[in-house]
Amino acid sequence: MTQHGGKALAEFVAEATEILDALGRDLLALDEARDQEADPEHINGIFRAAHSLKGLSGLFGQERITQLAHAAEDLLDRLRLGRLTLDDQVLDALVDALDTFQSLLGETSRGEEGEDLTQRTRAMEERLARMGSPAPPAEEDPLERLELDVQVRAVFTEYEEHRLRENVRRGVALWRVRAAFDLTDFDQGLADLNARLKPLGEVISTLPSSRPGGASGIAFDLIFGAKVSAQALEEGLQGTPAELAPLTVRPAHGEPSRPVSAPETVSSLSPADAGVTAPDGAPRPKRGKKKGTRVRPLSLEAGPPQALLPADTRAPAQDAPSGSSHGTPGLVALPTAAASAGSPRMKAVAGPSPTTLGLQSAASAPLPAGRPRPEETSLRSLTQTVRVDIGRLDGLINMVGELLLIKANLQRLAEASRQDGTVALSKLFGQELSRETRQLERKLEALQEGLLEARMVPVGQVFDKLARLVRRIAREAGKEIDFVSTGGEVELDKLIVEELSDPLMHLIRNAIDHGAEGPEARLSAGKSRRAVVRLRAEQKGNHVLISVSDDGSGIDEARVREVALSRGLVTSAQVSEMTRRELLNLIFLPGFSTRSSVSALSGRGVGLDVVKNNLGNLSGIIDVWSERGKGTAFHLTLPVTLAIVRALVVGVSGRTYAVPLNSVLEILAVQPDDIRTVERREVLDLRGQTLPFLRLGRLFHLPEREVNRHFVVVVGLAQQRLGIAVDELFGQQDIVTKPLGGRLSGVKGISGATDLGNRRTVLVLDVAELLEEGIAQERRRA
Amino acid sequence: MSRFEALLDAFFYRPDEDVSGLLDFAVGSDGLSPRVPEEEPTEYLAFRLETECYAVPILTVREICKVPLLTEIPRAEPQLLGVMNLRGELLPVYDVKLRLRLSEVPPLVAGPDAGLPPKAARILVLKTQDGPAGVWVDSVAGVVRLKPSMVELSPAGLRGDRDCVAGLGRKGSQLYILLDPEQALAP
Repeated sequence: MTQHGGKALAEFVAEATEILDALGRDLLALDEARDQEADPEHINGIFRAAHSLKGLSGLFGQERITQLAHAAEDLLDRLRLGRLTLDDQVLDALVDALDTFQSLLGETSRGEEGEDLTQRTRAMEERLARMGSPAPPAEEDPLERLELDVQVRAVFTEYEEHRLRENVRRGVALWRVRAAFDLTDFDQGLADLNARLKPLGEVISTLPSSRPGGASGIAFDLIFGAKVSAQALEEGLQGTPAELAPLTVRPAHGEPSRPVSAPETVSSLSPADAGVTAPDGAPRPKRGKKKGTRVRPLSLEAGPPQALLPADTRAPAQDAPSGSSHGTPGLVALPTAAASAGSPRMKAVAGPSPTTLGLQSAASAPLPAGRPRPEETSLRSLTQTVRVDIGRLDGLINMVGELLLIKANLQRLAEASRQDGTVALSKLFGQELSRETRQLERKLEALQEGLLEARMVPVGQVFDKLARLVRRIAREAGKEIDFVSTGGEVELDKLIVEELSDPLMHLIRNAIDHGAEGPEARLSAGKSRRAVVRLRAEQKGNHVLISVSDDGSGIDEARVREVALSRGLVTSAQVSEMTRRELLNLIFLPGFSTRSSVSALSGRGVGLDVVKNNLGNLSGIIDVWSERGKGTAFHLTLPVTLAIVRALVVGVSGRTYAVPLNSVLEILAVQPDDIRTVERREVLDLRGQTLPFLRLGRLFHLPEREVNRHFVVVVGLAQQRLGIAVDELFGQQDIVTKPLGGRLSGVKGISGATDLGNRRTVLVLDVAELLEEGIAQERRRA
Repeated sequence: MSRFEALLDAFFYRPDEDVSGLLDFAVGSDGLSPRVPEEEPTEYLAFRLETECYAVPILTVREICKVPLLTEIPRAEPQLLGVMNLRGELLPVYDVKLRLRLSEVPPLVAGPDAGLPPKAARILVLKTQDGPAGVWVDSVAGVVRLKPSMVELSPAGLRGDRDCVAGLGRKGSQLYILLDPEQALAP
């Protein structure tokens, strides 16, 4: 494994990560649409991803990944061709396979090859190979009912034939779309036609037409399954050379004799029958009105889903195709029931419904032996790459070109001044020089902005990964969870997004493990069965707010108080003076965990204090809100970028410090006698509110200087405010902060250092930590 | 080379092969005495702290630079003089005199009240496990080559936890105190 160069391996990992991300997205889409017929496009996407992964890993000699990808590809091929139905088991297996891929890739990137994982991979391969029962053989090939030339049928690929069969079976209106194009640009015309058709339905096959397309033309027949009415289809194709012709499907025998219209007839049917008819009706309302009348003499009227799905029909629907299918011969609609075995399920984010199963059924399913249990999974990416739009890079290159021009001009000026020697420089020269400098400044600013933009990635990248995680956690915890995420398009620095993934994972685990109650407890508390966990991001100025919330039982502050006291984290005197908010914030103290039993999910010794620290490293802050019986929410406030920030430069006792401007709220000039002392601590009166206040010089043990007035920099993150007294203000500047890593990481109150241009290193204050210290001091003194 | 050795060479020699055992055997078979291995000298960088002469293995030294402006770190340990900016890299600078008990108080070399550094003073940038770190020295004396026979290493077991003297080197009349950089800069 190590004989490959590090660079090649890094490339492999980067590319494989991208493939897995795409695979994960499609898998998630399938998962969310459990109640509906799987979109063939998604299955195809996953199939392609597995296929390219197989090719890629084979190229790099990654034996284990190749093998597993092969097994997955095999399974997906069977799915794609309809030899296997997509049920919960298959979906779970695919999700687990994705996890295994991630772990394998992780080991590969570290250059390891662990025995455990190899075993797991083998087990996974076997599981995929064993997966699923074959789809029930149709009693009659629906394709026979389609009036299509045998010659035409003969040229279909297996996949095309399968899709066509599937469409006929579902009673989708089939069309032949015939279009003639000029030979010179037929590829473009065809692509255009395909793009127009795509939103209207499924292009099953594209065939050269039997009708000649004229002297310089070529004609195609597209076999198309329409989702919309004939009229809408015609409208959609206006302006293209397409001609529509419906493909007739003979009615299946036995079908007309089955009136399915009134709910009461259905509920009086035997469970087996209900199981058969229900899926047929249930998904219909979602897909809009079908153009079914032309093809089928009888259109199925959809009844209200709850009437169609009495509780006892669940079982047959679930274990079709294997069980009930053989017991009910003669019903042509049956294959539909099998194909959409998951259809009675509600969408993952669909709201309350009496028939909701979704994640719960997955949760109650017994865990198959050999299920991988990734212990310490991290959602961090394995690679350090950022994809950048080539347009952005072009812009940056252009800017560099302009900078070179300016450099040439400056060089010329420097040369001129050197040759003039002692002669006094003309006024014109000065003007020219300052013009060039201004230009330089503007271009540099644009370059900086462009580079920062290139580092930005949507937080949705992490959200997608978390959504997959929720599924697994909910299953392990035996809870029913609806996961709702919004604001995935909000952009953050790549570095922050990466660092954010683990804290968010921890908070979500907490929300599911501690926050959300089990379904029974929820019902008895008068809530809906399923708990909702929300993940939300929104931009506010130059900060991004991310919140993780649940509608669970909330945090019991009495219990928090008890635990904090018993662990000796606070004294009873302190506790008695605390507000509810302060009490809640005790959960961030190191060594705090309310759960007495350590569960596999959260409470593995890593507490909220770690989450808080991680966020602190990103100059972020975390705040908690909770109400008994209503839920808990964690609010994270983060800067948009860390790379370059605007800072306020201040002076204390002759030293210079920089304060990131994004946390500065305002600056006050304060006379020494404006400072009041309340119970031996200094406070300021700010518009009628007392503001905690600390002198930076005293905090840093610097020699104090007599000043006749202080400048107070009011900083704030989330709801916390603090006044920091300094001696002087020097103005604002853009700074690039270098972290005090390695040997200096233990220094408190300083987040890094920067260079202000005069070769002098200036320390950057860590506002979050100072806030913390200021508040802690108050607490101690209280 | 003995006859037997040459034969062995011709038949078995592979550059990466460990044949020392065979060679020992070959040496015995011909009744020749083994050659005395050439003593490889190690290079040390010698410098002065107060009046004493110290030395560190030269391979641990990344570079030597003049004392730049140092920025003090508030509330840091006393032996941390401050941070310096070396071509855009942020490095901590330490004073090892405190640990060696050469002085009682850290010198005032950082911050606005510090005077100009002495002309001969330098910062040695040392490579350590926790990343590069600067060490203040009063002057640099030069490179010395010390053969193992000239070095008297303090037995590792007898050294205290915080003992940063690895041994003594003697060349002519000059005595060099060999510093262990890792220990000297340990927090």
